[in-house]
Amino acid sequence: MTSAILAAPALRPRRHANAGRWFGWWMIAPSLAMLAANSIFPLVYALSVAFQSYQILIPVPHRFIGLRNFEKIFSDGLFWSSLGVTAWFITGVLLLQFPIGFGIAVLLQRLRRHQDLLVTLLLIPTIISTSVAGFQWVQLFNYQFGPINYLLGLLHLPQPTWTADPSLALPCLIFVDFWQWTPFMTLLLFAGLRSLPGSVIDAARIDGSTGWQLVWRVYLPLLRPVIGVAVILRVLMTFKLFDVIYVLTAGGPGTITENLAFFTYVQGFRYFDMGYAAALSILQLIVVTILAKLLIRLTRRTLTGVAKE
Amino acid sequence: MNAKSSDSRRKFGQSANGFSRRKLLKSGAGITLGLTGAPFIASGLFSDEALAASTINIEIDAGQNENPFRWNADALKSKFGVQFKMIGLPFVGQYEKLVSELTARSSAYDLLVFPPYFLGDFVALGFLRELDPYFSLLDPQLDDYMPAYRDPIIKRNGKTYALMYDGDLLQVTYRTDLFNDPTEQKNFKAKYSWDLAPATTWDQYMQIAEFFTRPPNLYGTAFYAARGFCYGWFANIFAGLGGRWFSDDMKPTINSDAGVKALQLLVKMKDYSPPNILQIDYPALNEVFLNGSTAMVVQWDDLALKVGNPQMSKVVGKGGFAPCPGRSLLLYSRVMAVSAFARNPKDAYRTAAYMQLPEVSITYVYDSNCGQDPYRLSQLKPEAAMKNHTGGPALDATAAKSYVDAIREGLKGGYPELGIPGAPRYLDILDLYVSQALAGTLQPKDALDATAREWDSITEAEDPDRQKAAYAAWVKSFKDAGVEY
Repeated sequence: MTSAILAAPALRPRRHANAGRWFGWWMIAPSLAMLAANSIFPLVYALSVAFQSYQILIPVPHRFIGLRNFEKIFSDGLFWSSLGVTAWFITGVLLLQFPIGFGIAVLLQRLRRHQDLLVTLLLIPTIISTSVAGFQWVQLFNYQFGPINYLLGLLHLPQPTWTADPSLALPCLIFVDFWQWTPFMTLLLFAGLRSLPGSVIDAARIDGSTGWQLVWRVYLPLLRPVIGVAVILRVLMTFKLFDVIYVLTAGGPGTITENLAFFTYVQGFRYFDMGYAAALSILQLIVVTILAKLLIRLTRRTLTGVAKE
Repeated sequence: MNAKSSDSRRKFGQSANGFSRRKLLKSGAGITLGLTGAPFIASGLFSDEALAASTINIEIDAGQNENPFRWNADALKSKFGVQFKMIGLPFVGQYEKLVSELTARSSAYDLLVFPPYFLGDFVALGFLRELDPYFSLLDPQLDDYMPAYRDPIIKRNGKTYALMYDGDLLQVTYRTDLFNDPTEQKNFKAKYSWDLAPATTWDQYMQIAEFFTRPPNLYGTAFYAARGFCYGWFANIFAGLGGRWFSDDMKPTINSDAGVKALQLLVKMKDYSPPNILQIDYPALNEVFLNGSTAMVVQWDDLALKVGNPQMSKVVGKGGFAPCPGRSLLLYSRVMAVSAFARNPKDAYRTAAYMQLPEVSITYVYDSNCGQDPYRLSQLKPEAAMKNHTGGPALDATAAKSYVDAIREGLKGGYPELGIPGAPRYLDILDLYVSQALAGTLQPKDALDATAREWDSITEAEDPDRQKAAYAAWVKSFKDAGVEY
């Protein structure tokens, strides 16, 4: 009896604790349901479709075909060329965006006035919808009526056909992405620069550092974590780029500007080979995840390095 | 656990300021159910019957091809009480959009307007209603159709699934002022040893194109080289050189000698075309002829009507028309079909049948403000081409005769566009590799070999026996219509 009396008060809080825990689950249940419906179910479904022969246009039942869709990917020349385009694109974009974005960020940092106004103005290309930006550049690159060629004509310079020229189409796309997303890179790096400890910079200046030395020996090492985040974001965004390619070149001329995202779209929504498109999507998911993981690890390593320094 | 926090913590469901967690949960659940139930309630209120009244949704490639429906909106309303809403889809990309929607059994469209090369897939997938049972509502007068546009185009397995809206073929449009100029004629004869006239072979066509290439103000020719339909301009030459889509046992013959020569000619043709040739699509191709910067083009036959319209053309009265060398590809065309998921199939059929009646269609097939071209025998008269029913300019007597003669001759040697199940995929693959050859990333032979390999895999995936039977039936339908194949 005594023990029962003693035990009784202990039970009540546990029941309350259980009730509280259930209450928590009830509260997050709608979010979990939405997450399952919007993210987990499509992912699992795509995974199952990737192992099936599922072509919407061929009226036969889907069937399990094991890894055949994945085998097809690796023997498909167009897949490799689209992967090559993706790699070129990412490389080109980063090589342009990082140094120029950083340069603009440093210049902004040195300004005494109107920093916020300039940052706002710089961000205009980034806040424009990509499809709108694409149409804008379609007009600008127009061979006959485009203002770029008009100006080149006034200067008696050759007037290229821009996106219709096989050797210029990809650089044109890289340039459009550079135009649209360099401000984003600038903004991130500028925020990083503003957060740097003033005492370190002052100390470097007192020690007689030149501008270049300040950039190489102070700004860049201290900004490594921010640079890491900016690079990860841009790599991931560029890897899945679709809209500007769709609007500006539709993957052409030929397949010169067809990246992996566009190639997947073509397989899924032009040829309706859902099994193959799902396998391509899963492969991209794996590649992007590995890439992101590597970049995050790299950033962590540099963070650790900075902390040690 | 901290005693204070334990005391301050309310029991589950205990009231706080008159609003308990239980109440909160109940209210949340009620709101969630209400929101998720709303579409079901709405779908009940706006059921098929409620929406069916007399408004139909017409799907069509957006732009000038919507105009004939608009011009007949009042007549459709007064005769049948039918009103419509046009839903414009992009010209390139229409197939993807339609398949996505119809696979989901969408009733967004009642009447579908699309090119007949979609028909094989659409019938096989059950996207369309058979139209024969509706003929009693309004006789479509099919006997007046030109044979090439009747059974091979609108029927599958002996059943009618569509009605014509636009009869397309490729045609040569050339500058008569240049071709009839005595100095040009003399210089041409001196260079090529034959009299300057519309080409009857592709080698002649290339010589004329070379002769008139005088950049930057004049180019010999131009063609649709952008991704989407560049295959048509290749297939047009391929047919003229005696090529065929497949052999009788369904083996691709696209990479035959005729195919390779055709693609080599097309690639060479870039040298005689404006520098932005790889960007040239339908409107751009019209533009380079209408602005006077090109001596001749192969283009859909409706360009002839635009040549005569001073609002569009700088070469009014300077257009001559001829069939393509060898054969003219019956590329694209448009048909009207009733969706299997239409909410109002009868009104959709009435609209389609009315729009293609002889007395209605004659009012738009010779109008430069739309892209429709003749498909009825009764329309093939020069005097019809000299009248514009919407009040705009029309062709003069000479141009009208040249135009109608070119259509008639073109149809005699018309080469049908592939129309079997899978046709959009076969043709898109061909388009992809032709565009790669034009971009210079593949040699013509390699591009066509790759096309043939992919065509084989499409046939394999579709079922070779079924494809072979479908191809044989399709070829027979053209032969029965008097089209040589």
